[in-house]
Amino acid sequence: MVEFEPRIVGFCCNWCSYVGADLAGVSRIQYPPNLRIIRVMCSGRVEPEFVAKALSSGADGVLVLGCHIGDCHYMYGNHRTAKRMAILKRILGYLGVDPSRIRLEWVSASEGPRFAEVVTEFIKEMKNLGPNPLKEVKAC
Amino acid sequence: MLEKVRDLAKRWLEDKEVDVIFGLKEQDGYIAPYLFTDASELGNLTISTQCRLCYTCRPSKENILSLMQRKEPNTKIGVVARGCDERALIELAKRGQIDLGKVKIMGVACTQDEAKGCKCERAYPNNLVLGERVKGVSEDENVDALLNKSLPERLTFWRHELSKCIKCYGCRNVCPMCFCKDCKMEQEIYARTGWLPPEIPMFLFIRFYHVSERCIGCGECEKACPVDIPLLTIFKLLRRDVKDLFDYEAGLDAGQESPLLTTLDEAPMKEEVTSGV
Repeated sequence: MVEFEPRIVGFCCNWCSYVGADLAGVSRIQYPPNLRIIRVMCSGRVEPEFVAKALSSGADGVLVLGCHIGDCHYMYGNHRTAKRMAILKRILGYLGVDPSRIRLEWVSASEGPRFAEVVTEFIKEMKNLGPNPLKEVKAC
Repeated sequence: MLEKVRDLAKRWLEDKEVDVIFGLKEQDGYIAPYLFTDASELGNLTISTQCRLCYTCRPSKENILSLMQRKEPNTKIGVVARGCDERALIELAKRGQIDLGKVKIMGVACTQDEAKGCKCERAYPNNLVLGERVKGVSEDENVDALLNKSLPERLTFWRHELSKCIKCYGCRNVCPMCFCKDCKMEQEIYARTGWLPPEIPMFLFIRFYHVSERCIGCGECEKACPVDIPLLTIFKLLRRDVKDLFDYEAGLDAGQESPLLTTLDEAPMKEEVTSGV
């Protein structure tokens, strides 16, 4: 049997996490290829609708990565993300989607190894969790 | 009770405390919002849970009071408001839709039966003028039933419920908090024209999220739904969550800004932000 390979969508903020991902690449750190990165200018740009749309379009997990609290290029963008994601997780929980399919993490520009670590761990968790149940809904 | 409301409204009009009274009017067995300008008309003033007072006009998508205030900015409006109407007014004022300084609220409490009928958690206005505070309905069998389900069971349940949706936009149209000119639920990417049922759970998720922290718990969306989707179940849980996370309740204090619009320093969140919920 072929092992289940989750499809992960990652929203990375332009100033920290995307540079962190870049650093991971430049440093030739290995991490699984299941992640599709979407660059946004700030993690505050990530509307919960984006995350829900990704999940309902068949992504198995969504990773939202932003600057550490206090380091946001736009001062308070990540404060809002933190609050939004908390509510988003609650809503998805009530709708029957496992809230652990969404993860919010802070990865700074110098944390290349940490980026790889976060991604590897998340992908491993999604592998254990299995395919996203919303995929079937889409099919019918 | 109704007589008292009429008397007080008459006194307000006669003493020139307000220029007009905005309330529900009963005529030929029908109830609709009406602007009372003359004290002699007040015999038809009524209070009812059947009709919304603070609704958003379509297709201009403007609240009826903000429309009035734009046309006549100096008119002082007296509003006969139940608990949910008052909360709606406060939330609208908070979001810059109406000027609360030009509105005088006559808070009227609902009876216990009315509270039960609406499954209302808070059946009285903050600024109570007439009536008595009755105990709200805190138990809701739908909420308990949902919480007792496991995640796959919840998904099956919502898949069934949401597949009934006929995309009539009734829940959005009736909601006093839905006043955005550009509604996400009309965007092609989230709701494809001509497709039924709409994408599950994307379509109604938009409303769940957008109204989450501003929901005043009036239950109009559930009443308006022609296919009986239990929308209030989610909103009740979300109201609980917002209170739990941010210690904030919508519609109580016009000076308290929504926690989703402020920073973590101004309105801290209860749990550690990086760890999962």
